[in-house]
Amino acid sequence: MTSRRKRNLILLAKWACYFLILLLAATLQSLPGFLSLFGVRPLFILPVCLAVAIYEGEYPGALLAVAGGFLWDWTANRVSGLMALGLMVICFAAAVAVELYLRVNTVNFILVNAACCLLVTSMDFLFYYLMPGYPGATQRYLTQVLPMVLYTAALSPLAMMAVRRVAGRFVPEQ
Amino acid sequence: MALAVLLGGIMAWAGANGRLASAPEQILSAVLSPFQKGASAVSGGVGGLLDKYARIDSIIAENEALKQENWELQDKLVEYDRLKAENDAYKERDRLEDDSPEYTYMSAFVIGRDPLEQFGGFTIDLGTLDGVQQGDVVVSDQGYLVGRVLEAGPASSKVMTILQPGSYVACVVSRTRDTGNLNGSADYAADGRCVLENLSRDTLAQVGDAIITTGLGGEFPADIRVGTIEEILPEESGRSSIAVIEPGADVNNVKHVFVITDFETAYGQQAEQAQSASSAPAGE
Repeated sequence: MTSRRKRNLILLAKWACYFLILLLAATLQSLPGFLSLFGVRPLFILPVCLAVAIYEGEYPGALLAVAGGFLWDWTANRVSGLMALGLMVICFAAAVAVELYLRVNTVNFILVNAACCLLVTSMDFLFYYLMPGYPGATQRYLTQVLPMVLYTAALSPLAMMAVRRVAGRFVPEQ
Repeated sequence: MALAVLLGGIMAWAGANGRLASAPEQILSAVLSPFQKGASAVSGGVGGLLDKYARIDSIIAENEALKQENWELQDKLVEYDRLKAENDAYKERDRLEDDSPEYTYMSAFVIGRDPLEQFGGFTIDLGTLDGVQQGDVVVSDQGYLVGRVLEAGPASSKVMTILQPGSYVACVVSRTRDTGNLNGSADYAADGRCVLENLSRDTLAQVGDAIITTGLGGEFPADIRVGTIEEILPEESGRSSIAVIEPGADVNNVKHVFVITDFETAYGQQAEQAQSASSAPAGE
């Protein structure tokens, strides 16, 4: 009984740490001008959600992605639930793909991050820029969206390191 | 006897030359001086080390006290910076209120910017609990138009900027009184510019002319400064002109703004007067 209680406490502490990292990521992502490079800023919530999905599995990862998506929606005053749904699907698929086809290492994580970030930013670009019919879409995509993908992917190992550290620190006894 | 005479001679020589130390002493002193200094340093060092060792507890305590003092000073510095920022904001608000006493200004800080936002939209730290409502006008510290509140939550609000396409504001060229619609443009938004559309084809407006709001429509107060004309281009159809506007506010990087929560436009006053005239008794 004691062992089970201890195990639950460890799991609780681990997920509390994940949530704190997610809160930090949401704060940094919405911080005006933070790490802005030629007007391009990186995403932080997506890499954290992806890292948790990869280290904890597709279902727990998808759940945290929902929380991350809602945080994103609320901090940016976007349509509530849109990003939550998008991140949930993407993180679930990424976790399954990594489990089946890829080894968990930094290079693969960066590549998975770049692919997922490209998907998220391209969908956002499609809905909020291309479909309203704003001009200069190609230039905008090349000068704003793609650099953001690269920037986010370049910084994503930070999220991986943080999540790996938490996952390694809170290991329930068998 | 001979030694006494010698010593007496040395004393007499030293006295006659006005010097208290004799030549041999000086030579000896010159030779020994480096060793004395070295010995003194070693002695002082050892003495200092022993002294430090003996006073280690008090030094540690003193170090802790200094660290604590340093933290307190850092806290005071942060508090000072915060107070200074607030003071600057209140000064700007007083200046704006002096310029336009008919408006009510509320100081707000920009607390969020979404990296995916394309047209400079941001979130401020005031919401409906503070009296902010959807449609309230947002201006910069210097009183230049930034945008208006798109959505007001309880504690925060989302601001749509003048860079957003579709954010029409009725404006006028201050010098020539040419009217037009200020609108965001996807072509210029990344550079922080917007456009004044529907200017007449033969407009006399020039580069550098100031743009202000007209207050028509009742959504924006009149005479709010917007910016200056950077370039005048013919519209595609050739029937009108478009002026590229450089806003006075740095919309993409603004960190502090004022929300005008209460204002009376000339349009609103006219409507009110018309309503009161029609409701007045006919005999009066």
